[in-house]
Amino acid sequence: MILKKIQLVLFYIFCLAVTNTTLAQTDSAATAKQVVEKFQSELITVMKNGKQLGYAGRYKNLTQPVSDSHDLTKIARIIVGKEWEKLSETQQQKLVDAIIRLSIASYAHNFKDFSGESFIFDSEEETTRGGFVVHSHLVIPDDKPVKFDYMLKEKGNSWRIINIIANGVSDLALKRSEYTTILQREGFDSLVAKINERIDAYSKL
Amino acid sequence: MNIIFRKISNTKINYIITVVFILTTAVSIIGCATDKANEQPISNNKADPYENFNRKMFAFNSSVDTHVAKPISDSYKSVTPEFVQTGVANFFNNLKNINVIINDVLQAKFTQSAHDTGRIALNTTLGIGGLFDVAKHAGLEQNEEDFDQTLAVWGVSPGSYLVLPFFGPSTTRGVHGAIFDAATSPTTYTMIGVPINMVSVVNTRANADGSLKFINEAALDPYVFTRESFMQWRNNLATDGKTDSANNNIDELDIESLDDEKTSALKEDGAVAKKSNESNSGISLEPETK
Repeated sequence: MILKKIQLVLFYIFCLAVTNTTLAQTDSAATAKQVVEKFQSELITVMKNGKQLGYAGRYKNLTQPVSDSHDLTKIARIIVGKEWEKLSETQQQKLVDAIIRLSIASYAHNFKDFSGESFIFDSEEETTRGGFVVHSHLVIPDDKPVKFDYMLKEKGNSWRIINIIANGVSDLALKRSEYTTILQREGFDSLVAKINERIDAYSKL
Repeated sequence: MNIIFRKISNTKINYIITVVFILTTAVSIIGCATDKANEQPISNNKADPYENFNRKMFAFNSSVDTHVAKPISDSYKSVTPEFVQTGVANFFNNLKNINVIINDVLQAKFTQSAHDTGRIALNTTLGIGGLFDVAKHAGLEQNEEDFDQTLAVWGVSPGSYLVLPFFGPSTTRGVHGAIFDAATSPTTYTMIGVPINMVSVVNTRANADGSLKFINEAALDPYVFTRESFMQWRNNLATDGKTDSANNNIDELDIESLDDEKTSALKEDGAVAKKSNESNSGISLEPETK
């Protein structure tokens, strides 16, 4: 009887181990392309339900997909460049928080409804420094397609988006110019205040 | 966003004399503004050495847009049916294709020049003088070429960023390009050029409404936002979208330097873990709605 119980426990542990290993393998096996496609798919789902969800609903539904697919901490550090080291730990954390909220708010505002759009994968390529660029485009009915290039870097055992280049315009480079200019001209508090103003405006537009 | 720059570019083509005049004026004003520049932080952007002057011009243009261009554009939109607006836009796009074909050839894009010649022939005939874009339905998409791009292909650097009064963003290379483009525009040599161009300007502003709204919504600093997106957009056009995004030097080098950082004030793993918890709790990641 005791032997049978031990066998059951061992079997249970074995099953648990196999499940965990499978999950871990699935996670580590998620390629850069899969990360991007999963995020795009979640974005389209939110767009399809955009009107019913409203801004708050879209924000809520996009919070996890954006956090899971983007490396927003790294994005924040790149955006402020050398200024990052001049910020206190509290300021750094405040900036990261603000950029996370702004990123989600921006998606929630700009992808608010659906009129037949779809993302098409074009190709992917490895960069010279070990990153990946996933080339895709957004098909918009009765309009020109928008080219989206996603730049990803490895974080732990998964890939995360660190830059999006839309029709040749790099979001990271754009933000870095803006944010460093504001930091240098007006200071940290003004930068965070402006980010919060944008987030607030997105929720009301 | 790109649309507005394209439209502004179209407008520039038709105003050679004004551009030259404005450039002369701009250079004079820059000279005057330099004396006062000491009061403000000096621009750190190498591509924008005239930032102090440019910011003033940007503010001036924004004011002109708010008080003059937008009200006229709004009136135009309210009295003009959408199909007429589309027709007017198509007409000017078709005229622009003469310049596109010339620049195709100058850039040795001979297949594309044949494509664009077919486009203008179809639209001028079947499209009734260009009012209807029938070529698009035949699979002949509009290409964007101008002399600024040709100069880029020939190896000329963009030079300094400039904000021209009334015309908006450009570069020193772009101004030279606009002069050549104006010289190849049919409306430059016609008596009815001025009224035609006025219609073009109004129609252009009407079509740019969405793009301007996007800039106002997204930008923390509209001046820098416009400058960066304009410069990147022009570079993308000049390279035909073949900007080396995979090896984007600035981004990659920055990212690498961050990867190598041993002494970061923020311990990233801890921060991410904290973020993850906050995200799950739904406290700090919620939108700041009132």
